Amino acid sequence: MNPSLKLLLLLIVALEISFTNIVSLNVALVVLSIIYLLACRVKLRTLLWLLIVPLIPAIGLWSTQYINGTGQKELMAWVLFTRIYAFVFTGATLTLTTDVLALADSLEQNCHLPSKFAYGVLAAYNLAPKIKHEVQVIRAAGLMRGQTLSFWSPQLYFKAILIAINWSQNLAQAMSSHGFVEDAPRTHYRQIQIRTSDWVILIGGVLLLQVGVFVMPWR
Amino acid sequence: MATIALENLSYTYSSAQTPIFEHVTTQFPAHQFTLLTGPSGTGKSTLLQLIAGLLSLPAEHGQIRYDQALLGDIPATDRSKRVAMMFQNPNQQFAMDTVEHELIFALENQQNDPQIIMHRLTSALDFVGIRNLQKRLLSQLSGGEKQKVALAVIVAMDSDVILLDEPFASVDPIARAGLLRRLVELRDHRGKTIILADHDYAGYDELVDHVVQITPEHQLKMLPQTDWAQLFAAFQPQALPTWPVPSVVEQPLFDLHQVGLSQGEHTLLTPTDLQLHAHHNTLITGANGTGKSTLFEALVRLNPYDGTISYQGRDIQKFRQKRYARQVALLFQDAEAQFFNITVAEELAQSQKYAYSDYFTPARIQAALTQLNLAGRDGQVIYTLSEGQKKKLQILLMLIMQSPVLLMDEPLKGLDLKSIHALVGLLQTTLRETHQTLIIISHQLTGLTPLIDYHLRLADHRLQYGGATHES
Repeated sequence: MNPSLKLLLLLIVALEISFTNIVSLNVALVVLSIIYLLACRVKLRTLLWLLIVPLIPAIGLWSTQYINGTGQKELMAWVLFTRIYAFVFTGATLTLTTDVLALADSLEQNCHLPSKFAYGVLAAYNLAPKIKHEVQVIRAAGLMRGQTLSFWSPQLYFKAILIAINWSQNLAQAMSSHGFVEDAPRTHYRQIQIRTSDWVILIGGVLLLQVGVFVMPWR
Repeated sequence: MATIALENLSYTYSSAQTPIFEHVTTQFPAHQFTLLTGPSGTGKSTLLQLIAGLLSLPAEHGQIRYDQALLGDIPATDRSKRVAMMFQNPNQQFAMDTVEHELIFALENQQNDPQIIMHRLTSALDFVGIRNLQKRLLSQLSGGEKQKVALAVIVAMDSDVILLDEPFASVDPIARAGLLRRLVELRDHRGKTIILADHDYAGYDELVDHVVQITPEHQLKMLPQTDWAQLFAAFQPQALPTWPVPSVVEQPLFDLHQVGLSQGEHTLLTPTDLQLHAHHNTLITGANGTGKSTLFEALVRLNPYDGTISYQGRDIQKFRQKRYARQVALLFQDAEAQFFNITVAEELAQSQKYAYSDYFTPARIQAALTQLNLAGRDGQVIYTLSEGQKKKLQILLMLIMQSPVLLMDEPLKGLDLKSIHALVGLLQTTLRETHQTLIIISHQLTGLTPLIDYHLRLADHRLQYGGATHES
């Protein structure tokens, strides 16, 4: 499916389930997402992680609501619990199956987002592994001067921001040296099209969601 | 096709008082290879950035012309056809993830027809001889390979003028020779104009058409060919004293067992057994890009390696991180990496607070500051110091810490001769009292040799004591 339309569909789903209190709908979305992910040959291990990691915030929300909530305490507790999983799994159908480059291409070509934004985000994404190493270097350099920099040390962030500013300047120079000009027209080697089937899935998906929200007699 | 003319060019960084260039008028002739020389920090990068249009030049500060056209009048979208730049740091010049994607990105920016993009891409890769890298991730390439990709991008964009800003800083000698051969071919067969900035002039005398120097008076001077011999002679391989090869001992400082290093899929060091010795200073030499800094990063556990490294008989991975950092410290090549405060006084206070020994009393620190010509700068913000001052301050801060082992990565980089003598003097007096162990990577050997006891050489993926007595 076209990455931009997929993103749009998921945003609509997320928005709508934020305002509905139907446990079965959330569960149905999780099940549908799992089926989709399995069809895309996502590893079982990854799915298992997706089940385990949100457990802590989900239980946290559930118990807060169950203990302190008002009105239909038990129902609301389960709504919040399943909603977290619905967010995580519908989100995963985008992040685990869509290439970042394809999404950037699609946002640029189909949604006419400024190319500055699309490529800026892409460049930052590609730098992410280096940032991790750089944070290690900063912390090691701190230890060598006798100072332990924990994750809440302002100095760690001060240093990281200085480095990020420096990198962003270098990267901006490199991009313009490779012919990139803000807001100038570009050609596209990878053409991303919106096919009729993409529209059908988007509209069909939104309609199906309305059926789930308003028509189905969930119990 | 493109003669570059500078007319009455002046430039001053907004944060600095002294100008970098004052009323410079000169020409870089078309289809020729010009070497731009001058010590670090004299403005080579700034000049190239101005010529490339990456730094804007206010109208009253002179003009830059490509043939007849003013640089400012060339539409931004046509600039990459005129001029492209290869940067010093190979890690910060790509926006995309793979080689192929980066080349496509550049060709799309030039609004090439998608039909011809793949053809231009493959012929550029073929020209540089790196077709095998087409699908590879940029992050997994070695420094030399990345610079070859950077050249391939420039070849694909078919820019008339190619600017290179110290492009070989992390490139090994074989890759460097390959890149230089391609540049000469681009000049001879495709009529490109090439300006290359470097502070190491080895091997250029037979390749270049012109040598331009940045003078202390902030001018550019075209060096007549009769003066070249003198300039290049300083960079002929210089004879190194021969140091003894240490004998194998029971309890070395570091014991390397089958240690191997690599960068992506590129081998830097084949599995090696080696001892490093306490209370002696070891010099490590080797060409750019051979893996000296990577070895230091492995010794302080910032880089993965194969095999085992032991410190005083114990695997370094088994130490608590904090405890190990107290034992073995690294003087980073980039001085700013070691600063954590704002002013000079705050930095000095921090080092004193956490120092492991009280050798550096306030009186000794004052004396050291005077010796290094840093006295009276207590309130100054470190980021406004010159590169040389930053380096000297960084070394003093790490010396005050008094960790038993100090690894120094290019400690003399960017220092003038007077500073080098002051610094080596300070190191000698300190070591006499404190018996610290220094392990030093350095290209710059003038003035440093009195400190050295042993010499390790990294070449052909091997790290050995003594060996060849010549160093380039």
